[in-house]
Amino acid sequence: MSLQSYTPNYFSIDDILASQERCPCKFIVDIPKLGRLNPSAESNDLKAGTTLELPMWLAEHLSAGRHPIIAVELPRIYKEAYREILKADACAVDLHKLGLYFYEHGLYVKQFDARGDVSKILLETFQVRFRQLMDLANNIGSDPAVQDRLDSLERKLFKEGHAARTRLNTWLTDSGTPIEAAAMVINHKKRKRVDVEDII
Amino acid sequence: MNPDEVEFLAEKQLISIIPTFNSNVIHLISGDVGPFRASLPVRVPLWMAINLKQQRKCKIQPPDWMNIEQLEELKEEEKRSKTFVKMPSEHYMIEAKLLLNYATDDISRADEIRTIIKDIWDIRMSKIRSSVDTLVRNAGFYATVDHLTLMEINTMRPLLPHALDQVYRMKKAQSTRLPTQSTTLSLLNSSHRGSSLSS
Repeated sequence: MSLQSYTPNYFSIDDILASQERCPCKFIVDIPKLGRLNPSAESNDLKAGTTLELPMWLAEHLSAGRHPIIAVELPRIYKEAYREILKADACAVDLHKLGLYFYEHGLYVKQFDARGDVSKILLETFQVRFRQLMDLANNIGSDPAVQDRLDSLERKLFKEGHAARTRLNTWLTDSGTPIEAAAMVINHKKRKRVDVEDII
Repeated sequence: MNPDEVEFLAEKQLISIIPTFNSNVIHLISGDVGPFRASLPVRVPLWMAINLKQQRKCKIQPPDWMNIEQLEELKEEEKRSKTFVKMPSEHYMIEAKLLLNYATDDISRADEIRTIIKDIWDIRMSKIRSSVDTLVRNAGFYATVDHLTLMEINTMRPLLPHALDQVYRMKKAQSTRLPTQSTTLSLLNSSHRGSSLSS
């Protein structure tokens, strides 16, 4: 059982994977000799005004500083239309379909959202969906398909919660049964056969 | 924490037994136990009581609260009250489980007691579930909950503290405009502190 909850840090694989998620970026300046980044263009240079999907780790730095090279736009799933869907009923949404790292990516994306709507919707979505998550984790025997609709952050919480609940249920149901040999030992073919009659 | 660890902690609870043997005081790390005189009640830790019971060397006297009338009353009160009712024992669930498993013959109407205690547990669990949901939904950072026993608190771990950590991260992200390396670092530190408390 992991005692720590997830926090992004330099060595966190999940954080690295989350920053690989792409978001649309518009180039503000011409970039010579990088035309091959844009498969649809034939020229050798990347023209200002082209929109490309760049991974977050790249976009974050290209758009920062005093002379930004690109302007980052909000990815589709954090735009108004999707925000409305999430507001209507977050529980009904298949977050996994929207993005493997819905929350983590959102926490990166929110710096490009001047009005702060993205961070608000992330928090609201998490809060509303938590009940569902908790119920899923608390129900033993739920089929593995239930976690298909969770994003990776929720999935991690689900796994931890589910494991803890399984332990509790084993504790509750196991009623001091006598210690037995493990199934492996019993089924082990090479075990020496004890002749009962000899002993008697 | 593992439920077994909670059980281990609960086994330090004292319970009175009637031994069927004689023995001098036994010196243990946690304190002295005994002396044992046959058919004179003596208080011993729960684990020892169970062990002696399994060797058929004692009769366990169930705790005072383990009778139908008192538990019925407790159950009704638990149903009526919106908050948690104080339980007669800090580890009622564990004591009940152990005693009902190993010393059924010393407890009158053991099956009924088992059912009532399970009912009380279920009522309390559903209260915990709904209050946890309210807590997260309102993005509260703390809640005052009295009279929860250790085992009950443990049922919400690690899900609740970890979920609250995430809520905290998202809330923090809302208030800071641009995340920089330093905010990530401070988040890391604060969450270390938070989770060391919670787990």
